[in-house]
Amino acid sequence: MHIDLKKEIKQSNFARTGIIILVSMIAVAILAPVLSRYDPTQQTAASLLAPSLSHWLGTNHVGQDIWSQLLYGARISLLVGFSVGILSLILSIFFGLSAAIIGGLYGRIVMRIVDALIIIPMVIAVILVAAYVRPNVLVLILLLSLLSWQGGARVIRAQALALKEEGHVKASATFGAGRFYIARKHILPELTPILLVEFIYGVRRAVFVEAGLAFLGICDPMLISWGTMMHDAMRFTYLNVWQWWLVPAGVALSLTIIGLTFISHAAESVLDPRLRGEAVA
Amino acid sequence: MLEIRDVRVNYGNDTVLNGVDLALDAGETLAIIGESGTGKTTLGLSIMRLTEGTVKGSINLDGKDITALSEKEMQQIRWNRVAMVFQNVNNVLNPVHTVLDQVSEPIVEHKLNSKDEARRKARELLSYFGLPQNRFSAYPHELSGGEQQRVLLAMALSNDPGLLILDEPLSSLDGTTREELGDLLRQIDKKRAQLIITHDFDTASRLSDRIAVLYGGRIVETGPTQEVLRCPRHPYTRALVRAYPNMTTVKDLQGIKGRMTRPVSGCPFHPRCTQAIDICSREMPQLVRTEGRGVACHRGGIITLLSTVNLSKSFDLIKAVDSVSLHIEAGEILALVGQSGSGKTTFAKMIIGLYPPSGGSLYFDGKPIVRRGKDFYRRVQMIFQNPGESLSHRLSVLESVMEPLEIQSIGDPEQRKNKAIQTIEEVELPRTDDFLKKYPHHLSGGEMQRVAIARALVVDPDLLIADEPTSFLDASVGAKILKLLLNLQEHRGLSMIYITHDIAAARKVSDRIAVMLEGRIIEVGASNEIVAAPRQDYTKRLFNSASILSRIEYL
Amino acid sequence: MIKRQNLVTYVIALIFILALSFFLPRMMPGDPLMAIYGDEALIAMTPELKAQLVERFALEQPLWDQFGAYFLALFQGDLGYSYYYNAPVLKVILGSLPWTLLIVGTSLIISTFLGIILGIESGWRRGSKTDRTMLTGLMSLNGFPDFFLGMVLLIIFGVILGICPLAGALTPYSGLSGLPLVLDVLKHMALPVAALTLAHLAGSYLLTRNTMISVLKAPFMLTARAKGLSQNVLKYRHAGRNSMLPVVTMTGIWMGRVVIGALFVELVFAYPGVGQLTYQALLCRDYPIIQGVFLIVTISVLLANFAVDLLYPQLDPRVIHAY
Repeated sequence: MHIDLKKEIKQSNFARTGIIILVSMIAVAILAPVLSRYDPTQQTAASLLAPSLSHWLGTNHVGQDIWSQLLYGARISLLVGFSVGILSLILSIFFGLSAAIIGGLYGRIVMRIVDALIIIPMVIAVILVAAYVRPNVLVLILLLSLLSWQGGARVIRAQALALKEEGHVKASATFGAGRFYIARKHILPELTPILLVEFIYGVRRAVFVEAGLAFLGICDPMLISWGTMMHDAMRFTYLNVWQWWLVPAGVALSLTIIGLTFISHAAESVLDPRLRGEAVA
Repeated sequence: MLEIRDVRVNYGNDTVLNGVDLALDAGETLAIIGESGTGKTTLGLSIMRLTEGTVKGSINLDGKDITALSEKEMQQIRWNRVAMVFQNVNNVLNPVHTVLDQVSEPIVEHKLNSKDEARRKARELLSYFGLPQNRFSAYPHELSGGEQQRVLLAMALSNDPGLLILDEPLSSLDGTTREELGDLLRQIDKKRAQLIITHDFDTASRLSDRIAVLYGGRIVETGPTQEVLRCPRHPYTRALVRAYPNMTTVKDLQGIKGRMTRPVSGCPFHPRCTQAIDICSREMPQLVRTEGRGVACHRGGIITLLSTVNLSKSFDLIKAVDSVSLHIEAGEILALVGQSGSGKTTFAKMIIGLYPPSGGSLYFDGKPIVRRGKDFYRRVQMIFQNPGESLSHRLSVLESVMEPLEIQSIGDPEQRKNKAIQTIEEVELPRTDDFLKKYPHHLSGGEMQRVAIARALVVDPDLLIADEPTSFLDASVGAKILKLLLNLQEHRGLSMIYITHDIAAARKVSDRIAVMLEGRIIEVGASNEIVAAPRQDYTKRLFNSASILSRIEYL
Repeated sequence: MIKRQNLVTYVIALIFILALSFFLPRMMPGDPLMAIYGDEALIAMTPELKAQLVERFALEQPLWDQFGAYFLALFQGDLGYSYYYNAPVLKVILGSLPWTLLIVGTSLIISTFLGIILGIESGWRRGSKTDRTMLTGLMSLNGFPDFFLGMVLLIIFGVILGICPLAGALTPYSGLSGLPLVLDVLKHMALPVAALTLAHLAGSYLLTRNTMISVLKAPFMLTARAKGLSQNVLKYRHAGRNSMLPVVTMTGIWMGRVVIGALFVELVFAYPGVGQLTYQALLCRDYPIIQGVFLIVTISVLLANFAVDLLYPQLDPRVIHAY
């Protein structure tokens, strides 16, 4: 079935909104030094100040500028999110595609392992590991990737198996094409829409989990991310500070996730033939 | 009890039903015959107000017009007054409820009985339609196709509706189940009116008293089922019967030329009709009823092209043709079977005007033939036995085929050449220059006969007289010529008088057979009827002496 | 199409879990005992106790024996000893578990039920204003992490409006019993449950809605309509009954998510469940507790998944054959 993914997504309200949000967040992250004045890790004023002209969102309990933290926090969340998304996708493609193409005992074993790992809740496993190994960003990315590729692998394998049976694939086999050639030239390109969806899912999940783990205080406390901001702010809910400390971080995080959700919903609607013709909101 | 008047149904810009009139009384079973895309399912759904399209016109159930009712009011009517047996496809029943639940559900929901009573009634119905007791609590996917059909039938009767609409009720079933359920349906007939929607003549023949043929969103023919099937009056109905594999007719199957399209104006069938005239493309014909049968055709149905009344020819004292009265309809092949000397060729030559008749009269297109001018020869042509003789050895292929056009002064030389070449292609001969320049003595027997046929067809005649066209040819070649003639009939709507001594060949090619002996027609009728039950001894002898390939006795 | 697991998969998962929990401390550099118990706990131990523990966990023996000892201990319900609570790990965890189960269970039931109903209504009206509003609204809601939602609810209802309590599962030192006790519990769990429910509502809603859209196109829906059944019967008995099946399948997988969500939410509301326990354990490196929580939570999720797998054929008659 020939779907012009780009065109369809452009027409969807959900997709457009989501993309706008996401692009804004990325822009904010990149332009953080330009848009803010202070180093988010430096103490620049007294603690718990209300918003003012010099500190747009006031300061936190250590005297760091919240606005700067908000902007730089975007970097960590997005960095982790996208890195895990990519790495996870690569692992999914590798295992899912190979399981489908090679099949046989290898395929069955891989899928058993995948099924088993899917049941295990990711966050708890990370908590366990993080208890022993205080993770820095790199370790965190690796860890999250290792625990989140399974879902995508399952979907990719199912799709690849179905594609393997399609006419044009079988035809190229009659021309003498080997399995890997077929995988590279015929199957992989057809998977692009699915891969896109899985990627967005992966990023979304990673942003979510990173924030949650930061909120639990598992990550490096030196690292400023939205999650750590919320973790710190939580202790001061009885004061007024939550208005300009907690809420912006939470809203920024939620907006990012919402943006990703919208995009993935739009992509899903396009791919699933049963949902097409949806009165796109 | 059901009366439908001028119902039109549209889906957006698509007109599916274009003015349908029907009437059905209690106790009657009417079959609606149509191929896919004719709108028959839409008709059924419209009666229950379940279509997505817009419905115009009036649908009267027991005297009340239901097109004006609200959805809530329709909910009261559905299943209680009219119920539908849907096509037996996958998932036509809800997969997560047992069949017993689904049959008793409408009884309970319409508050006709208590839950227990409803279940009891449901059990009765399921048993009546032959579902084994141990399948009552089964889920739909656990049942076979036949069992599922029984459930659908039982379910439709649960609220005792006065009108039952059945959409392809027997199509998904095998032979014995078909018979069993068919009989059951005929038995419940007495109290209810049934509307059977199908494309299948066997179903219609089995279940219905009357039949209505649907084409292009309109009814084109109605009448008692057996009569219509035996003797269709509308060209479409006849073509449909010819296309339908069955154990009754003996002629080879033929399709209908063209594809189903929706012409903008005029009769919906006219692009594919072989007797269409001017008015057919402009105005919609109305359904005209006479003596219980109705036809919607500007020409009043299939027309009679040629008829002879007591035609006779004597040579001195010998009566070659003795008082022959025959008729040929448009689009029909009549085989004239007899031995040599029976007078069949003489008869043919009288029609074409080579012999003047000694007595009797000839009518063509309803008018007596007094004088045969060019216009007659434009419409009636003949193919002779021996192509070697009937083709001039001095004219090339192209010249032979162009000759009638020149005689008739049709078109300019360029157009004549094109028409001739077109017709040569039609008889499956090559159109290369090399071939067109050949002379008859360069051609094989089969090729020569094809040229002769092309020559006869080039003026687009309505009636072709073929006098033993294959007797000078080898069997394999002859077979191809016969198939060619059948294709030409399908494509052009030609009528043909096929003269032969071989009743076996006649059987494969003709719609009607006339048996001629010593100048008289001793038996005439539909081919399948003559083959199945010949009445005259001579006819029986003809069949007995006809070619038999296998002499194994089948016990 | 959701694939159903079978027993072998669960066994493999179990092995992974045990392996992770076994190998992790033992792969850390340094004294394995420290890795298992944490250096701070170790400081408080006497040398005799240390020797005893080394003996018990066979820490000087080859790895295989260690695993045997570990497994044996597990089997006997011995998850280790927490020095901070001065009690066996199992006992500590079991003390907190009921509270977590309370809010997890309640929110799971409510969010699934509500999600299904909203999904049915939304799918039935697909494309209408109601549908689009619900879709946008719930998808946006889905973007809020449970802990943030919890905090927002806490601030609005707890701090500003003062309707709900700010922390804990019970009013401390109240000595209530009977109906007042029940009401007190309900008051305290209202916000945590609300946060969890709202955060996870979208999952069942979207899945139900999507399934509903394809179910409505099925032939049996036309059959049901032809029977003159009322709208509600069509919506729920016919379409709805078919649309909720995928949600039930996914409930097992989603359970893990809700449990994790509960961990976060407990933190926000200082609710004395397993999440709070874990957080405290992380702060003071009480490894036995962390290990114990990991094992108990993951194995519970596994068992819940398994239970759902067993239950599913009751709901979908087509599956009886596949088993």
